[in-house]
Amino acid sequence: MELILATAECDPAVDIICAPSNVNELFEFREAMFSIGGFPITRTVFLILMIAVIVSGLLFFGLRKKSVLPGKLQTMVEGLVSFVKEGIAIDIIGPEGAKYAPWLISVFLFALVGNLYEVTPGVNFPVTSRMALPVMLAAITWVVFVVAGIKRQGIGYFTGIIWPKSVPLALRPLVGLIEFVSTLFIRPLTLAVRLFANLVAGHLMLTLLLVSGWVFMSNAGNIGFKAGIGVAWFVMGLGIFVFEIVVIMLQAYIITLLSAVYVQTSLYPEH
Amino acid sequence: MDFASADAIAGALKLVGYGLAAIGPGIGIGIVAGSAIEAMARQPEAAGVARTTMFLGIAFTEALALIGFVLFFIA
Repeated sequence: MELILATAECDPAVDIICAPSNVNELFEFREAMFSIGGFPITRTVFLILMIAVIVSGLLFFGLRKKSVLPGKLQTMVEGLVSFVKEGIAIDIIGPEGAKYAPWLISVFLFALVGNLYEVTPGVNFPVTSRMALPVMLAAITWVVFVVAGIKRQGIGYFTGIIWPKSVPLALRPLVGLIEFVSTLFIRPLTLAVRLFANLVAGHLMLTLLLVSGWVFMSNAGNIGFKAGIGVAWFVMGLGIFVFEIVVIMLQAYIITLLSAVYVQTSLYPEH
Repeated sequence: MDFASADAIAGALKLVGYGLAAIGPGIGIGIVAGSAIEAMARQPEAAGVARTTMFLGIAFTEALALIGFVLFFIA
C-alpha cells in the first residue's frame, strides 16, 4: 500500500487514487533484509534463493523413495518431470532430446516457481519480472543451442545461417542477413522479453485492480456509496487472478518449449 | 507549450504506440488459434501436435506486442 501512495503531495483521503511516482517502485526492493558475510540479501535475491530450495526440496522428497505405488507427491513430481521429458524434450528434439531433459526440467521448474510467486499470498511478487532473470535463462539457452549447433555441424553452423544453400543465389545475402540477426540476436531477446513482459503486465494489472479496489472500499466513510466501484474492481481483480494462474503456467511451458525448439533447429538445420 | 503538457502528450503518444503495436499480433493470434482449432476438429487424433504448434505460433506472434509493451515503458 505505501508503495502505491508514496507520492508526497498525494492525500489518499481526498484524492482517492494517487499515481505512483515511478512504476519501478512495484518491482524494486533496495533495502536488504539481512546479510550473509557482507553480501546484503534483498527480498528479490532471497526469493531467488528460495526457488532453489523449493525446487530441490520438491525433487528430493518427491523422488527419494521410488515406490511402485507412488504417493501423492511422487505422482506430482513424476508427472512434472515426464511432462517436460516426454512432452517437450523428446517430442520436440527427438530421441536425443533425453540428453537435454535435465536442463529443460531446470528451466521449467525455475520459471514456474518464479512465476508462481506472483499469485502466492504474502509474496505477490514474481521474481521473473526483474529483467535479469529472464535474461539469464535466455543467455543459457543461447549458449546451449549455439554449442549444440557447433558440435553437430562444426563451422558449417554459422555458414549455414549466413549463406543458406536452400535459397536461390540472388536472395542468399538478404535471407542470410535476416537469419543471422534473427537467430543470434532476436531469438534470445524475444525469449527473455516474453517472460519478463508477461509477468510485468500481470503484476501491474493485479496491483492496479486489487489495490485500487481496496483503496475505494477502505475510504467508504469519506466517499459514501461511490465505494461500490471498489467492489467491482476487486471482483475483476479476482477474475484476473485466475487468468494470471493460467498465464503463469503457459509462460513457463513456452519458455521451455522454445528453448527445446531452438536446440532442435541447431541439431537439424534442414527442418 | 509548457513542459508539463509536452510531457503529457509524449505519454499519450506512448499509449497510442502500444495500441498500434497490439493490432497486428491480435489479428495474428486470432488466425493462429482459429486455424489450430480447425485442424483439431478435422483430425482429433493430431490434436497434440496442433496444440504444441499453436502455442509456438502464438509465442512468435506475441513477441511483437510484447516489444511494444516494453517500449512503452522505456521510451
